[in-house]
Amino acid sequence: MKVEQIVEATLFASQTPLTLEEISRADDGLDVERVVEAIQLLRDAYEEAERAFQIYQLGDGFQILTRPEYAPYLERFDSVPRAPHLSPAALETLAIIAYRKPIGRIEIEEVRGVSASSVLRTLLDWELVQVVGRGEGLGRPLLYGVTQKFLEHFGMKDVSDLPAADELPVVLGELQQAMEGERSNPLAAETVDSAGESS
Amino acid sequence: MNSIASSQDMNQGSEPFQVSLERFEGPLDLLLHLIRSQDIDIFDIPIARITEQFVSALSDGLETMPIERAGEFLEMASSLVRIKAQLLLPRPEQPDWDEDPRAELVRRLLEYEHFQDVVHVLEGAEAQRGRHFAKGFVESRPAPTLAPVELELTLAEFLAAAARIPEPLPPVEFRPPSQTVTVAEKVSLLRRLLAKAKRVSFDRLFRPWGTRAHAIAALLAALELARQQVLRIEQVKPFASIWLLPGERKRAGDPPEATESAEGIA
Repeated sequence: MKVEQIVEATLFASQTPLTLEEISRADDGLDVERVVEAIQLLRDAYEEAERAFQIYQLGDGFQILTRPEYAPYLERFDSVPRAPHLSPAALETLAIIAYRKPIGRIEIEEVRGVSASSVLRTLLDWELVQVVGRGEGLGRPLLYGVTQKFLEHFGMKDVSDLPAADELPVVLGELQQAMEGERSNPLAAETVDSAGESS
Repeated sequence: MNSIASSQDMNQGSEPFQVSLERFEGPLDLLLHLIRSQDIDIFDIPIARITEQFVSALSDGLETMPIERAGEFLEMASSLVRIKAQLLLPRPEQPDWDEDPRAELVRRLLEYEHFQDVVHVLEGAEAQRGRHFAKGFVESRPAPTLAPVELELTLAEFLAAAARIPEPLPPVEFRPPSQTVTVAEKVSLLRRLLAKAKRVSFDRLFRPWGTRAHAIAALLAALELARQQVLRIEQVKPFASIWLLPGERKRAGDPPEATESAEGIA
């Protein structure tokens, strides 16, 4: 029995992502390195054979999923559950937690300018965020971070799959620059204009 | 200031900026929309104009909003008014950005906008992930499978058991109280039946009478005889039929039975 086939059977039979450790439990002769190797061989083989599925990494788990180009066919079946789309409030909150973790509710609310308690409760229920500790401040507030389920939902290996903060179109550094650098005096002349136009 | 912006400047007095509050997550979202959609330099926000537009946007819909959400918008409106007031105060000729009353608002707006970009990234990732399907998504049978729950029995077993529960008797039917049944009667019935058959269905002891009294008497009789080891009770799995089989011990006067177990003991 080849290692690849044991790994393949294990992945095939599972409906949820499996970690390397979980896969290696399939046989006494398996260890994490051999599983990694087998997954790579299987991936290459699927690629080579143009299979409709591939092994994807979601968080620290691996799962056989169909390739995206077959989605239109599968979506014709009513029984295929549509992946739930998160609300803007949920996405906003997750975005802040993913980039600022660990972060407390008050800090999230400061960024959003709106209350976050109900959306946090929902995200905790869905296991997209978890309590990762307690802050130092008054009342030792709960601090939140994203979960393995978050990575699975967004199809990421790691939160580092998210673009770095300075790669995003609106760069916070721009603001720092503005406050320190050449724009330190952006208002002297223009304020007069805008005050004039708005009154 | 480009020409588009100036034409909007001219219009804004007569034509209030039309926005629907429901579309916005909160005050920062609305404010950012007002600034970005009018191509305003975020580092030089015309506070008076923006405040006016912000407040006029609130005039519709604020009353129907949940109070907490309304409070969030009103808080921002009051901040805007405060900043506007501060701008009217005399200031140094060359003010530092740090001292500009608008600085904190701009910082929050840019931070908020930054996270809106993250939201777009997440939306894209979510959509992309939605195009991958795991095994088990296309069901092979019409009946949806239930969420995995730790149960001792299957749904089919449960339904089959439920189907065997007799319909409750109509309460209007009158039965004279003298027609009760004793455990002793059931014991003798059970002995007679066991004498004739190698095994007896528990149902057989009470089903023909169809009353709870008979079922209770039959159960007590079966348990009593099992305790005396006159019979054994067998059930292969929960909710399966219950069978009563001759036990190891035969009472004097019981008709002998030619079963293998009986022979073995003899």
